[in-house]
Amino acid sequence: MTPGERRRILITGGTAGLGLALARHLAPRHDVMVTGRQASAAVSANLPATCRYVEADLAAPVDAAAAVEAALEQAGWDGLDHAVLNAATGHSPAGGLEDAATIRRTLDVNLVSTLLLARMLHPHLSVRKGLLTLVGSVARRGTALFPAYAASKAGLHGFGRALRSEWRGSVGVQVIHPGPMRTGMHEKAGHDPGPLGRFFLDPADAAAMMAHDLATRRSPVTLGWLRYLSGATFWRPRL
Amino acid sequence: MSEREKCALVTGASSGLGAALTDRLLARGYRVVTVDHRAPPGSPDRQRLQVTCDLADRTALDRTLPVLLDAGPYDVVLLNAGISATGRFEAMPPAVLERVVRVDAEAPMVMAAALLQAESLAPGARLGFVSSLSHFTGYPGAAAYAAAKDALAVYARSIRKAASRRGVTVSTIFPGPLDTAMARRHAPADASAEKRLPPSQAARLVLEGLEKRRRVIVPGRVPLVYAGLGRLFPGAATALMRRLVFEKLDRETW
Repeated sequence: MTPGERRRILITGGTAGLGLALARHLAPRHDVMVTGRQASAAVSANLPATCRYVEADLAAPVDAAAAVEAALEQAGWDGLDHAVLNAATGHSPAGGLEDAATIRRTLDVNLVSTLLLARMLHPHLSVRKGLLTLVGSVARRGTALFPAYAASKAGLHGFGRALRSEWRGSVGVQVIHPGPMRTGMHEKAGHDPGPLGRFFLDPADAAAMMAHDLATRRSPVTLGWLRYLSGATFWRPRL
Repeated sequence: MSEREKCALVTGASSGLGAALTDRLLARGYRVVTVDHRAPPGSPDRQRLQVTCDLADRTALDRTLPVLLDAGPYDVVLLNAGISATGRFEAMPPAVLERVVRVDAEAPMVMAAALLQAESLAPGARLGFVSSLSHFTGYPGAAAYAAAKDALAVYARSIRKAASRRGVTVSTIFPGPLDTAMARRHAPADASAEKRLPPSQAARLVLEGLEKRRRVIVPGRVPLVYAGLGRLFPGAATALMRRLVFEKLDRETW
């Protein structure tokens, strides 16, 4: 694939946070399809006008994979260049332990959906020798603040590591671990980062760094301050 | 000191490492509660309470949890039950992928959280999660299994603080290939069984590690070397696993 060529890109969880920032970053030069769990009318004002939107709730992994597959067919996309599996949910439990329902929901949205989407997307990506990007988190090494979230992200890391080896030569696989960002995810998870929040990365900067990583296909990658300060938002190959 | 009888909970006790752990705990005089997919053979006895539950079935697990909480408090809990799925990832049916994550990660996470929240682990108790050596090496050919076992290992690390507030030590066990029916089912046909650690020996090392309150238990010397190499050279370790396992897989098993 030549640099600068128009690409077909699927982004899950593209209605807020990093997913939305990435969609905005890529939409001017590429064909972007975004998934989210809200109804189309509720999100269209926020999304770039050229973005396609699919409603798919990843808490029901089987149905979500079917909905995304149907949308790809409807759009007439016979192949994909990039799939960025970014959607995730997290919860910060008081006392450090989640209840069963939260653990199950976190694993369904963050891990099982990713497995089922990756499996469904394999033929679409292999047509164009595309790249599957899994969005993990620096929390994948473990944190008492979000145990089930950290577990699900560690699962993505192990999955990406194995799959990158398995799919070598047909589809690229990459895992990107962003550090904390000002995305509102901490608030949604019920955790107040306090004054530390001021030092979190801007999602637009993280998206710019991520676009470079999509171009280089490296894995695993960590998106943090160190890379930001080295000029990674503009320094590397362009997608 | 109270004269209370020591009590243990072991999941996946009908075969392999779980059976060996249960035997050792019984021999040491523990009362053992076992949880299995199907009722294990042999007559039930006073020392052993057998509970049947498919850990992939959320409703069944929710029904079983109160029974397990009632049978406590426990001094040792070993969340050992696991299943694998080997072959090309894209060939695995969605139901299999879901089942692997539920049995290998979700069920032990839900059980550990419920046991800790209900104070069903006695102060000073040991909580052991059985992950896999693949946490250190990567595992092409079992991508969903590797994902679930990594998730479990990091969950164990993440709840250590919450557990220690209740006086409970968390250990994570990373067994390499064991000489069990599961390994025979999933290994490439030409893999030699002599190199695999006998489950009885692995069980002894695991219980020793729990005794010493080790956070990380890798039973056996060879697996320990692999774990160290995987830590230092993750890329090379996964490439080696690809050659040793993925390229030799002659069938798909789940």
